Amino acid sequence: MSNTTAIQPGTKNQPERVEQRPPTVMPLVDVFENANELLLWADVPGAVRDGVEVHVDKGQLTLFARRAPEPGMEPGTRGAPVETEQRPYDYHRVFAVPSGIDATKIEAELNAGVLKVRLPKSEALKPRRIEVKVS
Amino acid sequence: MFHRFVDFDRTFNTFDELRRRIDRIWDDYESARPDLGFYASSAWPKVNVFDAGDSLVFRADVPGVAEKDFNITLTPDGLTLSGERKTVVPEGYSVQRQERPAARFSRSWTLPYKVDAERTQATLKDGVLTINLTKAPEAQPRQITVRAQS
Repeated sequence: MSNTTAIQPGTKNQPERVEQRPPTVMPLVDVFENANELLLWADVPGAVRDGVEVHVDKGQLTLFARRAPEPGMEPGTRGAPVETEQRPYDYHRVFAVPSGIDATKIEAELNAGVLKVRLPKSEALKPRRIEVKVS
Repeated sequence: MFHRFVDFDRTFNTFDELRRRIDRIWDDYESARPDLGFYASSAWPKVNVFDAGDSLVFRADVPGVAEKDFNITLTPDGLTLSGERKTVVPEGYSVQRQERPAARFSRSWTLPYKVDAERTQATLKDGVLTINLTKAPEAQPRQITVRAQS
C-alpha cells in the first residue's frame, strides 16, 4: 500500500476527462425599429468589452459575449459559494439579418450589461418623400 | 486505508457528476427558450452568494438597471434587495420583439452571521450588482494557535 493511490484518484482504465468550455446561454433581446434603422438590445450581464464579438457574415448576425469568471469562483481564491443560482456562462445568439441592412455600418456598444447593436437600413430602403411638382 | 478513501471519494465524484448533469438540463431548458427563461426561473434577479471568510458577498445579474433604481435594506438578521427594471422603448421606435421584461423585484435573505452595517458596500458594474457584507467581529473566522506543552 502506498500513498500514490490517494494522490491519483480515478480509475486507470478510464480516460481522463478534459473539462469542456461551459455551454453558452442565449441572451434575452429586444428589437426596435424606425424608418432608418433596427436596434437590438441584448442582456449580457457580466460581459466585458474585450470579450464581446459582434459580426455579420452571410446574412447572419452573431453575438458572442464572454463572461468574466466570478471572482469568488476562481479556483484557489477565497470564497466558498453558499448559493449558486447562476453559473457564469458565455452568451451566444445568432440572428438572420433582414435584407436591406447596410452591413458595413453596423455599430455595437456595451453599457451596464446591455449590448446595443445598431443596424442601419441601406439608403435604397429608407422611405422617401417624393416632391410633387406643380407645372 | 488509502484505498478506502479513494472508493469514498469516487462515490462522491459520481454524485457531483450527477448534480452537474441535472444542472445542465435546466440550463439547456432555459437557454433553448429565452422567452421563457425569465419566467421559468422562479426568482429575478439571479443571485450568487459567496462566503469570502471575513465577508459575505451577494452578486446579482441586473442588466439595464440604473443604480438609483435599487433599494437595499439591511436589518440585523436580514438583507432585502428590491428595485425596478423599466422597459425603455427609445423615442420614435416601434417594438419588433420584446423579451427583456420590465420587472419589479424584491428578494430577501436571512443572514447566517451578524454583519457590520457600517462597512457594507454595494457596487454596480457591467450589469452585475455586488453587495459586500463584512461580518461582525464576533462572526469573523479566528485562527487558533496550538501551543505545545512540555
